[in-house]
Amino acid sequence: MTAATLALPRVVRLPRIGTVLAATVVVLVLVAAVAPGLLTHRSPTAIDLTATLRGPSWAHWFGTDDAGRDLLTRVIYGTRQSLGIGLGATAIAFLIAVVLGFTAALAGGVVDGIITRIVEVAFAFPALLLALLVIAVRGPSLATEIIAVGIGSAPGYARMVRGQVLTVRQAGYIEAAAALGHHGFTVIRRHLFPNAMRPLVAVVTLGVGQSIVWASGLSFLGLGVPPPSSEWGALLDAGRVHITTSWWLEILPGLVIVLVALAVTTLGRTLQNRLGGASR
Amino acid sequence: MTRLSSPHWRRTAAGLITIATLAACGGTGAAAAGDTPTTGGTIIYGHVQEPPCIFGGWIQQAYISRQVLDGLVTEAEDGSVKPWLATSWTTSPDGLTYTFALKDGVKFTDGTPVDGEAVAWNFDYWENHDGNSTAKVSIDPYYQAAKAIDATHVAISLNKPYPPFLTLITQGYFGIQSPTAVKTKSEQENCEKPIGSGGFIVKEWKHGEEVVLTKNPNYTSWPATAKHQGPAVVDEVRWKFVADGVSRYASLSTGESNVVYEVPTVSWKDAEQRYQTIRYITPGKPVSFSINTKTGPFTDKLVRQAFAYGADRKAAVEAGFHGVIPYEGNPSVSQATPGYDAEVAKAYAYDPAKAGQLLDQAGWTTRNADGVRTKDGMPLSIKLVYGAGFIFTSEGATVLQVLQEQWKQIGFDVKLVPATLAELWGGKYSDPSTFDATPSYWTSPSAAILWIVWRPSTTASPNYSNRSFYNNDTLSQTIQQANTEPDVTKANALYGQAQKIIQDDAAGVGLYTQNSTYAIAKNLKDVWLEKSQGEPVFSDAYFTK
Amino acid sequence: MPTSRSNALGRFAGKVVSSVGVIVAAASVTFFAQLAVPGDRATALMNLQTGQEKKWTPEELAPLNERFGFDKPVIVQYLRYLGGLFRGDLGTSYTQKRPVTEVIGGQLLPSLTLTVAALAVAWVLALGVTLLTVKRGRFLSGLGSTWEALTASLPHYWVGIVLLVVFAVELRIFPIIGGTSASGTVLPVLTLAIPLAGFLGQVTRDEFVQVLEQPFVTTARTRGMSDLGVRLRHVLRHAVLPAITLSGWALGALVAGAVIAENIFGRPGIGQVLVTAVNTRDLPTVTGIVLVVAAIYVVANLLVDLAYAVVDPRLGGAR
Repeated sequence: MTAATLALPRVVRLPRIGTVLAATVVVLVLVAAVAPGLLTHRSPTAIDLTATLRGPSWAHWFGTDDAGRDLLTRVIYGTRQSLGIGLGATAIAFLIAVVLGFTAALAGGVVDGIITRIVEVAFAFPALLLALLVIAVRGPSLATEIIAVGIGSAPGYARMVRGQVLTVRQAGYIEAAAALGHHGFTVIRRHLFPNAMRPLVAVVTLGVGQSIVWASGLSFLGLGVPPPSSEWGALLDAGRVHITTSWWLEILPGLVIVLVALAVTTLGRTLQNRLGGASR
Repeated sequence: MTRLSSPHWRRTAAGLITIATLAACGGTGAAAAGDTPTTGGTIIYGHVQEPPCIFGGWIQQAYISRQVLDGLVTEAEDGSVKPWLATSWTTSPDGLTYTFALKDGVKFTDGTPVDGEAVAWNFDYWENHDGNSTAKVSIDPYYQAAKAIDATHVAISLNKPYPPFLTLITQGYFGIQSPTAVKTKSEQENCEKPIGSGGFIVKEWKHGEEVVLTKNPNYTSWPATAKHQGPAVVDEVRWKFVADGVSRYASLSTGESNVVYEVPTVSWKDAEQRYQTIRYITPGKPVSFSINTKTGPFTDKLVRQAFAYGADRKAAVEAGFHGVIPYEGNPSVSQATPGYDAEVAKAYAYDPAKAGQLLDQAGWTTRNADGVRTKDGMPLSIKLVYGAGFIFTSEGATVLQVLQEQWKQIGFDVKLVPATLAELWGGKYSDPSTFDATPSYWTSPSAAILWIVWRPSTTASPNYSNRSFYNNDTLSQTIQQANTEPDVTKANALYGQAQKIIQDDAAGVGLYTQNSTYAIAKNLKDVWLEKSQGEPVFSDAYFTK
Repeated sequence: MPTSRSNALGRFAGKVVSSVGVIVAAASVTFFAQLAVPGDRATALMNLQTGQEKKWTPEELAPLNERFGFDKPVIVQYLRYLGGLFRGDLGTSYTQKRPVTEVIGGQLLPSLTLTVAALAVAWVLALGVTLLTVKRGRFLSGLGSTWEALTASLPHYWVGIVLLVVFAVELRIFPIIGGTSASGTVLPVLTLAIPLAGFLGQVTRDEFVQVLEQPFVTTARTRGMSDLGVRLRHVLRHAVLPAITLSGWALGALVAGAVIAENIFGRPGIGQVLVTAVNTRDLPTVTGIVLVVAAIYVVANLLVDLAYAVVDPRLGGAR
């Protein structure tokens, strides 16, 4: 056993109640994404011009928008796209980052140099510009948003991955493992990968939340998914002008984004804590 | 400087300014503002869009260029053309030559005279040297040449009679710049600080923030519609760019601005109670759908008409804009335009049953699993391309979504395609295969806009403004006749016929009029809007205490 | 591993050379990407100048094509452009008719102020919350964690709009149209800093917790060092590593956030210029901004590397 597993206080767990709440939220979100009809009987595009801009009430928990559409229903139906963007973009970013980061850190030398340069060049693009360019070329759509947000987030992760791999490589237990005769790929698989990736689990789950948030920023600039999509960012964009007169249109979808991102992050960290204990 | 308190002989009354509530005067319970006029001060004006240059062919440039440049003539509330730089004019009997007598002694702010040569030079600049392409397209192909007769007279000749000519040159695009300045200064200087003879001078342009205008103390050439005689009362106007509607409107309440443009429609009722408000309905082509008559499902007139009947456009507009922006049933001419035919606007009132009948007649009788009508296996799919953010605000987008939902009920599958500025202006949607319907507007003080938009497009002379790709020779002849008809009543009758042709054939579908709304602090008086395009005029405005 | 001075100097020189390469590469990518955007540039420019969207005849487009060289072969345009770069000439904005350096120059300072201030404030907030609440019992830890997770999940412009409405419109503590004044900068900075603080805080907290379990910490404690002392002197140095790395990235995210903040608070800045330039296909301005940002990144990278090396001596010679 390595020195690192000498008995130390275990990582403090987050309050149980928090994890339970987070899990509930995530389950709700998944249901909303996969089968929104289970959570609401209304249609997200059903207009009712006699009931526009009504505040939250028993009939409409989240109120109605300026076309009389039920806001809660729109939020529920928008989950699929918002979550899709978050997951898809993070997946793309992570994939790119792992490939680039690991290759750079392990290969070293010229390969490291080239990849680092590529990442630096990618870094040189404000993430927004990258997104704008991708969107300008392909037009606003769900796929475009996912790709744009993913590519925009990748360089940061790549650098982190590389940094982490380098740090871990220097760590005592890697040398110990090598000294014990474990070679190359085994070392990578059993020691390097888990230890380098562990701090990143939290970052990646944060990333899902961040991607959702980021995508809403694109919608704000009018570059999001086309209407009548009720992707959460689009809802925030539409609700903005009503903030002083119909606050629920702007505040409630925003709270939903915060809640979902928070829940995903909490769960992710719980996961990470468990993983953290095990792989030591 | 003294301000002559002559009776205001040009009140902001009926006509196009439909609501001009000046709540402070007369003591209708207003708290803050008194009635004592003061001189000096700085007007802080919250505008939305920052233009690339002060003068140019975009309406956003006309707003600000009008503060520093004067025109030859101006349009009055009742639609008549009144003197400005030109004190009087005569038209030759054949309608081909306009001779203008210029006000004596007017100088540009660089000291050079506003004389016949200067005016002629400006016309030539717009027409032949890319000075202002919107000015050019407004008077083409009628314009022939401009010539100075002497220091105070200039003659403009046309190659065909064109009665709308005078009204068209009242627009801000026809502001007169100093030829010396344009010729000797750099392009950048002329872009940022054009030299004119107007009530204000550009002092500084802090990009991204504001343009600072100072009063021109030697101003002698105010229009006949001005509310007072003499240079501007205030010392400075700070023309700020505040893109966010909530911030812009809220800045009035904290005193960070005195006048704002484009009040969010949700705040309109609040604005009417707390401030002075002006709502201006823009003449010209309203925001209406150009329907692609060349390719796609809309080549069939019955389908076009079904589209017009199939959604409650009036209710959608009223809901989306909270009653502030009026519905416009006439697709080719807005209600604020002389020559508007109100009868034509009544067509195609919401009638889903009729829409269904028309579609059945046209052969779209079967429906697929999603409820979309089909014919020969093809779904009734409509691509509706619109300018996201800059032509359609989010409120406008709501209107489109309401319509989309209603069209869905009768079997149209309307896909809303938001286009970015880069895409639209790069020509991505200029080919008929790329869209089926697209909404757009075009400001013009005259029904002559019909010619610009509906002139048939030929290979020899393509008309890219004809977004319906609608080539109708009868229509073409009617408009041309109307354009050259000297008798106003007859001309309007002909314009009315043209509007009827377009409406009957459903080559366009009406939606709403382009609007400008302003909210003005109660202690700032005599801010008025110029009639042809709705630009704010600050050279008569004064603060009270 | 010992590094000799000439080694360090050589590495530094190498970095400078590669930085220049990065900038050129960045500019090239933007150049070609702008070409990939659909639509014809001359048409877009014409439309911008007239405020209409339509196709134009070749004769109408000819003067623009000639002036900006749009009709020359791509490689000629590219070389012409690169040549200009090396002369320090960033070109003239197509739409504003003034040198790009001027367009950017006036807007750069407000954006930099906003971004740097936001990063600084974010660090202060993140470190503060982390130091005070990490591993100090379940309640406090949980509170700190939740706070960070919460703030990290806040969408930028939602924060901005809420702050604007609450503090500027309703409470009137700050101006609505702040411009570049000091009081007008507080809300925009907070808008960007709060979500970033949450993010940095979380990452730092995680590392903190991990590092607190490392053997050398136990050793320090057994030698009688106080808890705070341990935290500050030993753990912090290692815990901030991921956050330092992220700061480089954060600068980029802040530029994106800056566009939003500038929009909401009516603040001048290069974010807005960038969006407008991309929208109007004003290539010289777009590439000018990219270059400036690239240069800033390069400097930021160098600083990050330095910081990394200082904080974690084990990595000093590994690069």
